[in-house]
Amino acid sequence: MTVELTRGAVEALFKGSQVNNPVLQLLNIRQMSNTSGPPRYRLIMSDGQHLLSSFLLATQLNHLAEDNLLVPQCVCMLRRATTNTLSDGRHVVVVVEMEILKSAEEAGGKIGNPTPYSTDGKLSSPHKVSSATSEPASASAAEVSGPSSTNNNNKDWRKGFMGKAPMKTSPMMVSPMKTSPMKGSPMMVSPMKTSPMKGSPMKTSPMKTTASLPGSIPKSIPIATLNPYTSKWTIKARVTKKSNIRNWSNSKGDGKLFSFEIVDESGEIRITAFNNEVDRFFSLVEQGKVYYISKGTLKVANKQYTTLKNDYEMTLHAHSSIVPCEDSPGIPTVQCDFVPIEELENRDKDAIIDVIGVCKSAEDVSRITTKASREVSKRAINLIDTTGKVVTVTLWGEEAEKFDDSGQPVVAIKGARLSDFGGRSISVLFSSTIMVNPDIPEAFRLRAWYDQEGYTVDSQSLTETMSRSIGSKMNWKLLSDVKNENMGHGAKAEYFSCVATVLYMRKENCLYQACPSGDCNKKVIDQQNGFYRCEKCNREFPNFRYRLLLSANLADFGDNQWVTCFQETAEVLLGRKAEELGQLRETDEAEFDEVFQKANFTTHIFKNRVKLETYNDESRVKVTVMEVLPVDHREYSRRLLSNIQKLAR
Amino acid sequence: MAGILDVPKPRINCSMLSQFINRAVCFVGRVEKVHPTGKMFTVMDGEGNTATVELNEPLEEELSGIVEVIGMVSNKGEIMASTYNMLREDKGVPFDLELYNEALKVIHDFPQHYPFQVAASG
Repeated sequence: MTVELTRGAVEALFKGSQVNNPVLQLLNIRQMSNTSGPPRYRLIMSDGQHLLSSFLLATQLNHLAEDNLLVPQCVCMLRRATTNTLSDGRHVVVVVEMEILKSAEEAGGKIGNPTPYSTDGKLSSPHKVSSATSEPASASAAEVSGPSSTNNNNKDWRKGFMGKAPMKTSPMMVSPMKTSPMKGSPMMVSPMKTSPMKGSPMKTSPMKTTASLPGSIPKSIPIATLNPYTSKWTIKARVTKKSNIRNWSNSKGDGKLFSFEIVDESGEIRITAFNNEVDRFFSLVEQGKVYYISKGTLKVANKQYTTLKNDYEMTLHAHSSIVPCEDSPGIPTVQCDFVPIEELENRDKDAIIDVIGVCKSAEDVSRITTKASREVSKRAINLIDTTGKVVTVTLWGEEAEKFDDSGQPVVAIKGARLSDFGGRSISVLFSSTIMVNPDIPEAFRLRAWYDQEGYTVDSQSLTETMSRSIGSKMNWKLLSDVKNENMGHGAKAEYFSCVATVLYMRKENCLYQACPSGDCNKKVIDQQNGFYRCEKCNREFPNFRYRLLLSANLADFGDNQWVTCFQETAEVLLGRKAEELGQLRETDEAEFDEVFQKANFTTHIFKNRVKLETYNDESRVKVTVMEVLPVDHREYSRRLLSNIQKLAR
Repeated sequence: MAGILDVPKPRINCSMLSQFINRAVCFVGRVEKVHPTGKMFTVMDGEGNTATVELNEPLEEELSGIVEVIGMVSNKGEIMASTYNMLREDKGVPFDLELYNEALKVIHDFPQHYPFQVAASG
């Protein structure tokens, strides 16, 4: 069956008048030679009557071209398009949203006999148009009339969009080709593609505001349509994040800047102001408020500085204007593209993602000292979502301290880093935004789900729960594994934990005389004159400290292993301090022996470090005990049971 | 009583009682109710099922918490206790009855690894 093209649509679009979801046939697609930035594709579209090559594909639809979905002669329906007027008066139709109805084969050839449409005799040739479009949008007289008609189009487009809502259910054809623009989608959060049909307030509002206030208040275009080729435009958006003023100074001079991010229903974009503009706008721009912004310079986004989903970013200049406007219900407070927790496993580590979930539980705030010797607060919270999977999110600094996990709030995090720590976990960055119980539909959905069923769900965590095993991931091994697996033979030391019993400890030479100064543990030489010399400190002392260096033999059911315990671990094993033992050895030998007797045949959890060491041509695997812990029988039993079950499979 | 102490006493829970009729067993459970006479009480195992324990002499002390009973299983599926041992809850690590039940299941699922015969090696 041949698809009907919308005759007259090409002419209408070119003139900028309203057309409802015109069905056009793609005759050709060409990539434009751009100097920088994402590729731009020019399309030749036909409505069976006319053909026009002044169609530009909006960058968010670039994937259609790159995935080879836009094959010449395929039939498409333009869901959203804006007609821009360039500085030289040419009209260009930018396709913001498009759906492929029929593939080229199904269309069966060129439909109709379209003739090139031209208003002023100029045949649109690729080169001319591309040069025209790549001209920077500089304000010229020709454009003054442009924007108003442009914006009218937008308004009409959206009105048409709304009006045709009931019809939208029908053309749900070839689903993989359904082109909902992923990035900066005109809809809210992605699964709600059908939201305009529900007549949600989001969609209708820009229309309302433009319709009710003609002339005095500028009509705004969606952020998603911003590109370096549009000239005069105004956008209306809410500031989601504002940075502090930063100063810099380099070889070219110095200056200051501040940046902020804005969002509207169609998408988000980052804006930076430099030097003079900082003075003009810094106090004016407030996070959470809505503004009309116009006359900014668009350029390709430097992804290094932002994680926003927009190919472009904006810079304010002397002619830019920011006007506060009354808060509009249509402008969302934030734009997020949430990844279901279950899918996090499929994402790459170090990816920046947004996630939302109900905070099932949270650990207490802990303070850690970083390698830079800074003390930082840290807090781990567990989020669960409708996929039933749980992931651990780490909050830092003030966020960690401020976080209130009472009532299992819905937590949304934007721009956090996915890490492979413990499988998959999330770490909040300095640039991330954390929202507790945000005012977005996703949050309400999660809340409802959790209250009804979520709280009972026996969830599976993507992050290995550390809480039961002591400290970080314990590498449980048997003593026989040390020899069988040749542990420690590699370049790096290996660490493992085991449950073992002390069989024997060397009483003789377990104590040595150490340097009494601070952190120095070097053995001192008894100079027999009442003084002890430390070679490392190069000093003599009238005294020394007793330190333990215990050699012990540990065993489990399979094997035994000689290990070395230093001061701290030896003291735990023996239950006495080194000084005490030193004294005891000199005074009461019987009791000294008793200490060792008591410690013999006790069972503990040992955390060890094993490494191949070479001493005078001889290489031996040496095991050092890093930590001695009491056996948690319940945890041990659980582990054994799970091992048995694994073996039984 | 001397006799029962020489014999291997498999650890069981309520579901296994029927298989061990007229045999010496060891039953660990949480004390539920003590009969006013003090000669009988009920215990609940890790799975939530209850068994009855009968004593030769009435109890001389308050029985509560986890208790380990050694005795013979009667035809009616009750345990005729020879001796019992109360695991004090205020001392030591709390006893995890569910975990114990899991271990019981493993022991009975793999008798080849957990033989109950006395030194019956080949």
